[in-house]
Amino acid sequence: MFVILVYDVNQKRVAKVLKTARKYLYWVQNSVLEGEITEANFRRLKGELSRIINQDEDSVLFYIFGSMKYSSRELLGIKKGGETNML
Amino acid sequence: MRKAIYLFSDGKLQRKGNTLYFESEGLKKYLPVEDVGEIFVFGEVEFNRKLVEFLSQNEIILHYFNHYGYYMGTFYPREHYNSGYMILKQAEHFSEQGKRIFLGRAIVKGSARNILQVLKYYAQRGKEVESNVKLVESFLNKVAEAKEPNELLGLEGNIREAYYQVFDVILQDKTFLYEKRTRRPPQNYLNTLISFGNSLLYSAVLSEIYKTHLDPRIGFLHATNFRSFTLNLDIAEIFKPIIVDRTIFSLIGRKEIKKEHFEKGLEGFALTTEGKKLFITEFEEKLKTTIKHPELKRDVSYRFLIRLELYKLEKHLLGEKPFEPFVSRW
Repeated sequence: MFVILVYDVNQKRVAKVLKTARKYLYWVQNSVLEGEITEANFRRLKGELSRIINQDEDSVLFYIFGSMKYSSRELLGIKKGGETNML
Repeated sequence: MRKAIYLFSDGKLQRKGNTLYFESEGLKKYLPVEDVGEIFVFGEVEFNRKLVEFLSQNEIILHYFNHYGYYMGTFYPREHYNSGYMILKQAEHFSEQGKRIFLGRAIVKGSARNILQVLKYYAQRGKEVESNVKLVESFLNKVAEAKEPNELLGLEGNIREAYYQVFDVILQDKTFLYEKRTRRPPQNYLNTLISFGNSLLYSAVLSEIYKTHLDPRIGFLHATNFRSFTLNLDIAEIFKPIIVDRTIFSLIGRKEIKKEHFEKGLEGFALTTEGKKLFITEFEEKLKTTIKHPELKRDVSYRFLIRLELYKLEKHLLGEKPFEPFVSRW
């Protein structure tokens, strides 16, 4: 499945959340990551994040797609990050 | 499925923040370690023990190529699927002549049948391939009688030659003439593409072998000698016509790859970085393409087909079901 992760957390925990999410997803721009992920890894990611964030203060959102077949993506301005397999 | 990463830039690949990090001039990129299955290194990439350890932990395989795009070697992490039993079986099928020749024949047959499928496609499109089809068929008929692995390899060579001869008829492109098969280094554009494609496929098959209990060092058609891996060469034989050659046909047919994508070295030709990228993009596209699998009754990608081929081989070695190579239906 394809997941878009958006987070808004207390500054103290931004680095931690980012670091954890980067193991599974591609960084797109500040506070946004996306990528294909297996169900098992998704569960692991959620587990890891929920141990980091403060349930009363922080917010992490996941947009979950079965596949990217029926969606398209548009960009205004510069491309900051995203998935690449050739570097 | 975990992805393949191709590194062309010169830079440093390292473990950072518990994931992979690639840094080169003006480029900083984190790669999600959980999403990376294999890494192909084409550039001048630095790495250290810590990285190799990390790759090993995460079961990521690393292939490296030299400046000309020749395969140089692989960091094949410690086996994570260990099976002494499977290795014994594999060795048994290698050393017992009858068992070895059975697998060798199956591989050559599979390869030839896939070649014929490709040729049939072009025959339908009105290309003059009939005489070469006959030639391939006549060699294919001799495969069942081959008694020695060397004899088989010879037949395999004959089949491939008869097939490559027809590339000129199929492509009808003056820039990309076949002439004859040349390697290390290839002497013309088409040969360069064939060599590059084959080495990509060998590496891709090796990566799939890593995910099974099989030992890549024991091949059946290609003799296990002092080179490190041979089983991947065997399995790649079956898929070359439908993956590598079709990639070449698409790229040349659509006139995407041009003269400018090659450079002449001291002894022969090589693809430029742009050319390699172009080839890899199309090659990856092919591996990702799905087909309806007749037995599994679901869509599977070509990459997964390679793995299925290995599972079939495992079943054969364990005596559960005789190995039948995959033959494309179109």
